[in-house]
Amino acid sequence: MHDLGYVAAGYTITFAMLAGYRWHLAVRARRARRYVSTVTGRARGWRRRP
Amino acid sequence: MRHLYRALTVLGNYRAQRVMGIATLAGLTATVVIGLFVVPPDATQGNVQRLMYVHVPAAWVTFLAFGVVFIASIGYLKTGRIQWDRVAAASAEIGVLFCALTIALGSLWGRPVWGTWWTWDPRLTTTAVLLLIYVGYLSLRKVADSPVRRAKWAAVVGVVGFIDVPIVHESVVWWRSLHQQATVVRLGAPTIVGSMLATLLLGFVAFSLAYGYLMAVRMRVGRLEDRSAVPVSSLSAPRARRPRPADIPAPVASADVPTSRE
Repeated sequence: MHDLGYVAAGYTITFAMLAGYRWHLAVRARRARRYVSTVTGRARGWRRRP
Repeated sequence: MRHLYRALTVLGNYRAQRVMGIATLAGLTATVVIGLFVVPPDATQGNVQRLMYVHVPAAWVTFLAFGVVFIASIGYLKTGRIQWDRVAAASAEIGVLFCALTIALGSLWGRPVWGTWWTWDPRLTTTAVLLLIYVGYLSLRKVADSPVRRAKWAAVVGVVGFIDVPIVHESVVWWRSLHQQATVVRLGAPTIVGSMLATLLLGFVAFSLAYGYLMAVRMRVGRLEDRSAVPVSSLSAPRARRPRPADIPAPVASADVPTSRE
């Protein structure tokens, strides 16, 4: 029973780190996108037309 | 080299990224469910051995990520294309994440089995050195002042730092170690039960998918950040706005201007 605590902690840490890093990337992407759209004056979903 | 880069750019495709995200989630969920509830516990270690299904795949992804850093660094030094540097930076960041996760999970496994959270065992020490090398790699990227210099310095560290990866892998063979020896990647048949091996392989697939997914997202972020870091003057000009009715000056009524009645 005592061992299950270590196992639960291990699996929780794994998912927390993966989810935390994914969230961190989302924040960075949002920040960079906001910066680029502010500088260029384009809307965020703007795409170059062919 | 070119094919590898093309394969990595396909990962940047939004649809491919989405599919990979769903596959990653499914793979990780399956690993957790099977690893925790389906596979029997180990005869000697009991339930704590279930940490193997995340600890070993995390170590595998660490090697994979640093291997990609090594290849991308060679690619940059050979071609001078900044895209290779972007691949190396993305992979190093994810490699550091998985290396830290490997150490944390190993520590959690070591406490009930070895009776200690940490010991200066060859495998543990070389892994800690590996983590420090790539944390240094990421720190170096922050220090360099120009993108070209940053890419060049980082590529050199990316190539030299990879030397530690085979040392980590072989440390349990070369030196007397508390850490167990290889049970799957070894000469001869694997010394592990079939059901445990299958779950471990599922973990490998799930973690590799997680690496691919995070790589795709990180490369997209890298492109955006590179774009936001370039001087404002080099960004393309804003699109001309169509004039709105409020912008057009209203005609001024004057005595000189003939009206339609006259």
